[in-house]
Amino acid sequence: MNNKPEKSGEIEIRPHIYDGIQEFDQRLPNWWLFTLYGAMVFAAAYWAYYHWTDHMKPGYQRVENQIAELQKAALASGAAPTDMQIWKLSQNPEAVAAGKATFGTNCVACHGADLKGGIGFNLMDTEWVHGGKPAEIYNTVMKGVTEKGMPTWAPVLGSARVADVVAYIISQNKSIPEPKE
Amino acid sequence: MKQKAPIRDSVTTINQDGSRYFVHPADVRGFWTFFRRCAGFTLIAVYILLPIVKVNGAPAVFLDIFHQRLHLFGLNFMFQDLWLLFFLITGLGFALFFVTSLFGRLWCGWACPQTVFLDHVFRRVERLIDGDAASRRRLTDAPLAVGKILRRAIKHGLYIALCAGIAHLFLSYFVSLPELYRMAHLSPLENFGSFLFVMALTGVLYFNFAWFREQFCIIMCPYGRLGSALIDDNSIVVGYDSVRGEPRGKPGTVTGDCIDCRRCVQVCPTGIDIRQGLQLECISCEACIDACDEIMRKIGRPKGLVRHDSLNALSGKKTRFLRPRLFIYLALMLAGATAFAIATQKVKPVVVSALRMQGAPYFKEGDHIRNNFLLRLANKRAQTHTYTISVQSPVAALEVAGGNCQKVQLAGTAEVQEPLILTLPLADFPGQFEVQIQILGESGKVENERTVPFLGPFRE
Repeated sequence: MNNKPEKSGEIEIRPHIYDGIQEFDQRLPNWWLFTLYGAMVFAAAYWAYYHWTDHMKPGYQRVENQIAELQKAALASGAAPTDMQIWKLSQNPEAVAAGKATFGTNCVACHGADLKGGIGFNLMDTEWVHGGKPAEIYNTVMKGVTEKGMPTWAPVLGSARVADVVAYIISQNKSIPEPKE
Repeated sequence: MKQKAPIRDSVTTINQDGSRYFVHPADVRGFWTFFRRCAGFTLIAVYILLPIVKVNGAPAVFLDIFHQRLHLFGLNFMFQDLWLLFFLITGLGFALFFVTSLFGRLWCGWACPQTVFLDHVFRRVERLIDGDAASRRRLTDAPLAVGKILRRAIKHGLYIALCAGIAHLFLSYFVSLPELYRMAHLSPLENFGSFLFVMALTGVLYFNFAWFREQFCIIMCPYGRLGSALIDDNSIVVGYDSVRGEPRGKPGTVTGDCIDCRRCVQVCPTGIDIRQGLQLECISCEACIDACDEIMRKIGRPKGLVRHDSLNALSGKKTRFLRPRLFIYLALMLAGATAFAIATQKVKPVVVSALRMQGAPYFKEGDHIRNNFLLRLANKRAQTHTYTISVQSPVAALEVAGGNCQKVQLAGTAEVQEPLILTLPLADFPGQFEVQIQILGESGKVENERTVPFLGPFRE
């Protein structure tokens, strides 16, 4: 620290002195200035893009739009499956296997591993308190029978998995007749 | 192009008009250069191995953004556990403070990825294609001819390839190698965000390593600036012994040991003259030490005219290693490490939540009452693990549908929802009581628990 600068050259020293400290007035590096000007251009462009186009909605609006779209899609395709659709699903071994897995974790506690009931109703007999057609069973599972303790499964499982579970039940209970078209 | 003489009043690599002065450091060989290169290659190997080596079923470092998991050397966290990284990061920060106040900017010269990649990869490629400092300078000044275009194309082609490699390696820390491999075999449009990220990172790295280089260390890096506050006269830094070296000049004409050969200036990658003292630009790369030692050996003078020493020692005083700041940094570092270690033990390897199912709070069926719960279990472990759901009740007659202590097998980082149905004969119901749901790991230890109230009809 005991070396004097070799030469100060033409570097200008600013006139102010604070606590004996003086400042050089040196040019900023060009690359630094480019980033500054670049940021200014970007800010203007982004501002215009954000406020004048429809591509960048605020976060809450995008979420609202997505929800609206999902609800529209649910209305369009979410019409409850028909008896025939669920019956066909019950003939599809993949859907039945998926339904069996879901049944094993979610339904087995009340309806039993053999589907013969326990806390919940027996699913292997011919008595269907809330309707025994495939679409009726589907509805019962989706909406639940909350006064009896059958939960609403739609928000937990979603329609696809509920359909699989019903397909599994139908594949097991041979007393459910094939629906006519 | 004539080499610029460094002065202390301005940064060598930025000209008076704001344009860039591109430094072409000369080749240097020696003790420090050799070991620094070994350390550099070791670190590059570590960077490459971290996503490859598996610890407890997950890569050693895997910040799984998609699944919101962090795997860190066998520890598994979910993003809600990330608060404890505060202690790790502050602890590491103070460790860096500690090292800096002891040994100066050791990190910059030896371990910073910027230096590791720049010195041991990109400058080596440049040396290979463009030759030594003199030929590089000549080539820069040469008019654009076929030979120059060819060399430039090869060099920048290699740069871009290397940068793309580093960018992919970086991405693999966040998506894992198998996923990176899978994505690399799909159309870029399938994972456009990741593709864009890697392209942008490749561009940034290329700009940095091909052109920006030491500007990052001098002007952008906050750690370099912190150095002025962390380093004092007792820190070991790279310095020139002016007591021994001055007055400099041709051997025989002066009494100082410095022969003013300017080798230390020629090898400096940030373009400073170390004989002007410790400067902000110095990244402690030790090139000047090796350069000066080589000259001193040749002219038969003792080496160490430029060496690691404290500013006090370099000006003939004694170095005081033990300073209050050292102990403060050390204490803060240990506090961070201890808090992190304790916090890590507190993080539970499984998440459980218990929600009462929709419908009535309890159901009366004949002479039984029933409460329905929906459990959500999330396995934080990276491997498959079997958990036992154990229900602890102060009322012995409480029954769990399907039997108590059911086992649930969860794949690594998987989540599952399970109904939990509790029944109790009405006659045994003593009024509302609390039931504990314990989640046991394979070792039989309780790894997490929830308490839920068991509800029933009001009792007089």
